[in-house]
Amino acid sequence: MRKILSFLLFIIFVKQGIAQKDSSVLKQSTLDEIVVTSTRTETKLSNVAVPTTIINQKTIQQAGSLRLKDILQEQAGLNIINNGFGQGVQMQGLSSDYTIILLNGQPLVGRTSGVLDLNRIGINNIKKIEIVKGPSSSLYGSEAMAGVINIITDNNFKSTSEIGIRYGFGNAEKNWILPADKAAAKNFDFNFSGATQINKTGIHFSSDAYYVDAVSIRPYSSQLAVQPIWRLTNQLILNQKLSARTSIDLNIRNSYDYLKQDFAVSNLGAVSTSYGRETNNDLNIYPSITHVFNSKIKSSLKLYATKYSGIQKLYFVEKPDSTYSDEFYQNYYRVENQTDFNFKKNRLTVGAGYNIDEARSSRYDNVSSNKQNTIVSLFTQNEWNPSEKLTVIAGLRYDNNKLFASAFSPKLAIRYKINDIISLNASIGRGFKAPDFRQLFLNFTNNAAGGYSVFGSIDAIKIIQQLQQLGLINQLTSDYIKLSSLKPEFSTGINIGGNVNLHNNLTFNFNLFRNDIENLIDVKQVASRTSGTQIFSYINVKRAYTQGFELEATSKINQQLSFSTGYQLIITADKDELENIRNGKVYTRDLDGTVRLLKESEYIGLSNRSKHMGNVKLTYNNNKFFATGRLIYKSHWYLNDINGNGLLDNNDESSKGFLLLNFSAGKQINDFLSVKIGIDNATNYQDKNYLPSLQCRTIYFSTNIKFK
Amino acid sequence: MKKTILILGIATAFIFSSCEPNNNTTAPDSYIATFNSRIDTVRDFAADTAIIAFGAAGPQYAGKYSFYSLENDSMVPRLDSNTTKWDIAFSGTIILVNNTISGPGNGGGFVYSGLYNSLTGVPKDSVIKTDVSVPNNCAIPWGSGNGWYNYSGQTYLVNPIPGRVLVIRTASGKYAKVEIMNYYIGGVTPDASETLNEKVAKQRYYTFRYSLSN
Repeated sequence: MRKILSFLLFIIFVKQGIAQKDSSVLKQSTLDEIVVTSTRTETKLSNVAVPTTIINQKTIQQAGSLRLKDILQEQAGLNIINNGFGQGVQMQGLSSDYTIILLNGQPLVGRTSGVLDLNRIGINNIKKIEIVKGPSSSLYGSEAMAGVINIITDNNFKSTSEIGIRYGFGNAEKNWILPADKAAAKNFDFNFSGATQINKTGIHFSSDAYYVDAVSIRPYSSQLAVQPIWRLTNQLILNQKLSARTSIDLNIRNSYDYLKQDFAVSNLGAVSTSYGRETNNDLNIYPSITHVFNSKIKSSLKLYATKYSGIQKLYFVEKPDSTYSDEFYQNYYRVENQTDFNFKKNRLTVGAGYNIDEARSSRYDNVSSNKQNTIVSLFTQNEWNPSEKLTVIAGLRYDNNKLFASAFSPKLAIRYKINDIISLNASIGRGFKAPDFRQLFLNFTNNAAGGYSVFGSIDAIKIIQQLQQLGLINQLTSDYIKLSSLKPEFSTGINIGGNVNLHNNLTFNFNLFRNDIENLIDVKQVASRTSGTQIFSYINVKRAYTQGFELEATSKINQQLSFSTGYQLIITADKDELENIRNGKVYTRDLDGTVRLLKESEYIGLSNRSKHMGNVKLTYNNNKFFATGRLIYKSHWYLNDINGNGLLDNNDESSKGFLLLNFSAGKQINDFLSVKIGIDNATNYQDKNYLPSLQCRTIYFSTNIKFK
Repeated sequence: MKKTILILGIATAFIFSSCEPNNNTTAPDSYIATFNSRIDTVRDFAADTAIIAFGAAGPQYAGKYSFYSLENDSMVPRLDSNTTKWDIAFSGTIILVNNTISGPGNGGGFVYSGLYNSLTGVPKDSVIKTDVSVPNNCAIPWGSGNGWYNYSGQTYLVNPIPGRVLVIRTASGKYAKVEIMNYYIGGVTPDASETLNEKVAKQRYYTFRYSLSN
């Protein structure tokens, strides 16, 4: 295996010397790509006024990425966080709850504790991923507070079919391993796709089956469990041209996960063995009709329905009667119209939508009781191009919720091209996240740990009033009165950045950002029972900010070799904690036990944020062969307060920073056959406490056969 | 139960008096009582440590209290719980004073925010509370973030809040300032990465220091 490594390095560093320079080919810059997420209309990336990144199919394939998590973790400024409910993406220092994940512009649902597990989303057979940073609620409504990730499926209908097979293996316990090793953690992927055009109907079908012996370690127990996971994704895209001006599209996607997790827990000698079984089902149906009235007006009507179910069951060997079951079902329906008007110097978009969001869960009062929210949304945006150099975009969206307060989300963005080399852009916008069903309806009493309860804010008032009538409430806390009106969480985000293009082969992108977040929802004690047990609920209590900057450089060293690097700095704070420190109300305890006032410079801010993140990527590409080496760095992050002052300072628990190194290389053998080899986590970095789900070094081989 | 008492009196008194020489004498009228500069430290004071059951529900304890006399620097047997011999009692994270429903004494208390050394006396405008109901309405409030400690649901660790001093009125009506320094055996909080079992086995052992009023 060391030979493979040196071979890759040889290719990367030696080939560079013999590669020829051809500047005429280099002119095709990534800036000419078309992006739809930034404005909800097709726009050249070079004209977009908000921070936008495109990850194209080639990049995804060359990186050997199978799940959305794999490719996102290689982007500077995106931090993959595992909070115990799945792996979500942290953007601009905001938790994954605040980034909306779209599939062809429509939202994916089924979040657990705010996290949409990125491993649920297969990225085989997609055209590209578009990432927009900064508040985008003016276009997308709730959840688009930190930004938007839009997965765009491959909808080309050229007659082709393709089969891909991949086999990978690794062993957490050993340095380098053989495939024959019994204890190897295996992964396997089989995918198929086919497309054709029959008369005026385009059909594109793809299917992906994935198996992995995922590794999972129970927090603070170091108990390692191999967790077999099956994931299956099927996707069908149909396109029917009714006339030159009208077409109908239908996207259907189904994704199914089956996870096993078996482990034994020892509690002071008493061993209990449990078998966990988890199934997730995701169905998305998205028909739309688009009509081009004339060169100036285009309108589309979109219907969207998505159904998610997540069921977890836990069986105990010692107590076969007591099965623990957790069920969550969510349905989301949407009717939406969007009409685009193209005038001389203006591009106007108006839209309206009616949405039904419903969920039921064993975590609420009753698994069969359906909770429903309806949302009426209106949005408009105008893009004004007074000259070739200047673009001004103003947008506004209004979301009216049945269950809680409505939200206004304005946005203003400006792009100015100073010359061919430098362009600058600035934007300010407001984002929001509506309270989710858990925050409104959760009904959880932990009889195991003393009988405390957590109720969603709508249920909490009802339940506490009932308990009061029965004389079972001992006292209400000062937070109780805040329960009545749970408001959406709001942020105001400012992004200032730009691009510098030097001779087309050296590009810099930079962006400074600041997000001020109000009404953050937190769990607080609202009452206590006469029995002494506490009742908690969700209240808008916190204020925070995140700020930092991002820098990206890409360079085409020559026709074959390209280099890119990215860096992000993040600074965050809970504003109330910061105020308390400034007012001299917060103390800290040093390791020797000395108690003293905490200095502002010792304050860390929000947990789970790496202050510095970066990546370096080197890619060699010629017609038949490619090789890439990708380095990902994350500095240490703070997790828990361990000196008792209730906030994070530099005396508290932190992880170590780490480096991940991934390699891949592939060859097109002939028109039909291509092969690929890769090593993920080449240094076999492991951290049982703080990166329990990081896969050990995995070596994989894959083959792709294409029929035309 | 292991218990050692350490007297840091002389050294601390010296440093203390050299830093703020007139603090106790400039405004004696503004205090109900001023604190002696002698500091006693109590280590590994067990507060209901016996686990009676342990299952999926986590550890269950007997719910018994351990009693301490601040005035006599000694532990008080449980048999004397209904007397004025004790000043402060501990059970898990619950702290009681000897008054009203907790005992027959004249006890009371409140939580002061600030450094132990800068609390030189009990200010005249202090509101001294008593135990009204256990555990939700105590002189020393119970619950994470409410009184003397913070509990983390992530690490399962109890940590005393730095900069919190318990002002206790003893059973006989004297005053003491008490600082809880640690909740784990040996006065060392387990590492966050230790297992839950290890953490549970080490918890409920108080290390605290105190000074009585003159």
